[in-house]
Amino acid sequence: MVITQLIANSLIIGSIYALVACGFSLIYSTNKFMHFAHGVTVVIGGYLLYTFFTLLHLPFYLASIVSVILTGLFGVLSYRVIYLPLKNKGSSNAILLMASIGIVILFENVIQLVFGADIKTIGYLDVAKGMDIFGASVTPLQIVIFIIAVVLFVVLYLFMSKTKLGRNMRAVADNSELARIIGINDKRISDYSFFIGSCLAGVAGILVALEQNLFPAMGLGLIIKGFTGAIIGGINFIPGAILGSFILGVAENFGIWYLPSGYKDAIAFGLLFLFLLFKPNGLFGIKKGVKE
Amino acid sequence: MISPYILNILIFICIYIILAVSLNVAIGYTGLLNLGHVAFFGIGAYTSALLTKAGVPYIVALICAGVFAAILGFLLILATYRLKGDYLALATLGFNFVIYSLMLNMIFLTNGPLGIAGIAKPSIFGLAIKTNFSYFIFVAVICTISVSIIYFLMRSPFGRLLEATRDDEIGLRVLGKNTFALKSKAMVISAFFAGIAGSLFAHYITYIDPTSFTLPEVILIVTIVIVGGLASIKGSIIAAFVILIVPEALRFVALPSSILGPTRQIIYALILIIILMFRPRGISGRVDLK
Repeated sequence: MVITQLIANSLIIGSIYALVACGFSLIYSTNKFMHFAHGVTVVIGGYLLYTFFTLLHLPFYLASIVSVILTGLFGVLSYRVIYLPLKNKGSSNAILLMASIGIVILFENVIQLVFGADIKTIGYLDVAKGMDIFGASVTPLQIVIFIIAVVLFVVLYLFMSKTKLGRNMRAVADNSELARIIGINDKRISDYSFFIGSCLAGVAGILVALEQNLFPAMGLGLIIKGFTGAIIGGINFIPGAILGSFILGVAENFGIWYLPSGYKDAIAFGLLFLFLLFKPNGLFGIKKGVKE
Repeated sequence: MISPYILNILIFICIYIILAVSLNVAIGYTGLLNLGHVAFFGIGAYTSALLTKAGVPYIVALICAGVFAAILGFLLILATYRLKGDYLALATLGFNFVIYSLMLNMIFLTNGPLGIAGIAKPSIFGLAIKTNFSYFIFVAVICTISVSIIYFLMRSPFGRLLEATRDDEIGLRVLGKNTFALKSKAMVISAFFAGIAGSLFAHYITYIDPTSFTLPEVILIVTIVIVGGLASIKGSIIAAFVILIVPEALRFVALPSSILGPTRQIIYALILIIILMFRPRGISGRVDLK
């Protein structure tokens, strides 16, 4: 069945986009600037797993946990070393974005210098035969990807709504000045949001590495998809960003059913354009995304 | 006689001066953070290459390259004129990727990833430009003309209106000026010269493929503009020399090309980040990036 296969593919790729988008959106909502280097953070997660598991032969689960935590620390480091000094000087969002693109180019090329430009495989799972689910062929790994993504979204939702830290984050996202007045340390909140967001990027990196292999320049495509998903759903609103990413997955997969597959990225950009133009705060965005 | 190596660098510097000065019209003078400039550069290169292949005289192809890029510049601003700052930056970056995937996928026209080879060296009114030295003279002349035109436009009342659009768009509208018309004129001028630079690039290299027009190229041009300083033509010219000459030092260390490429990109990225952190107005910028 073509339709069920397309739906299955949309859900799988949508989960990866959504993992990228929810970290991006979390960082955006508490910091109010575009952390474009979130894409290269995903790639760093993947290459860390490659280093610990494939090169250093650590047990897979240990290697994964170490990679995710180090990826989270990379996010905090980029905030502390680059964004915070710029913010303290009163730099505009445009400057922060350019610095962020600088980080992308910097680390993409550092990875290329260290690991080479060729494609790396993790080699943890053997190539599995697809199972037949309602006429769609799906590998066990793809099911695991979907389940991990959904579990993380639920955990993130519970964290943001039930814990004190999560509620403080939402307070900063809503109105950082007011949050400061009632005694919330917004720099600390920024640290946490970069850490949690980048950990999610690390998980996305590991899943991408297992599903599609690794190459240094892959981060750009991922952040563009994550960003597009976030814009579709509303960049300030994490559940919206997740749903937007799944919508993007569906649009891409059904789009290349009609168009040559080379246009996959152009479909994402077409959607991004349409939303920026006609609905810049997204389908579910609460606040206006475009600054007046 | 100048050595071929120096000539090669000088030709590239001239091309990048046109690119940086024309991008400064958008980013510096008008306040449009356009990251899609490379798309115009690429369109210019492809237009000129395909037209001369079809037998059109070079000078016509050169002008068509500019005009075609300018039309796309108008379409881009038509689609994005309500966006500002970082949103505009990402939308225009997206435009870049759309053009890139068109170059890659419209195989009947662009030959896809294989690119277009054997682009003829230009000949103008029967005067063939064969050697690199004569090509350098040709590029230098076009570069001087382009920069002069932009310089005088930016000093004219029109240029001051552009700067007013950047500084206080609503205020200018209150005075009855059509800021959309101003922004689109700025974008059209900016794109036109990028198209011209694309044509000069294509006929110098004689081979183009879509990978010449991707993100690293965007970063290179934007870095030149930021290092030179916004709304400063002098700054962009000096910065083009500095940014293109600095990585040439690497050539003397005799690194293999697999290391040379990434190292060059790392240098550009570090220059960009360091300038933004410690000297955001660059060499002689007059305004901040907003």
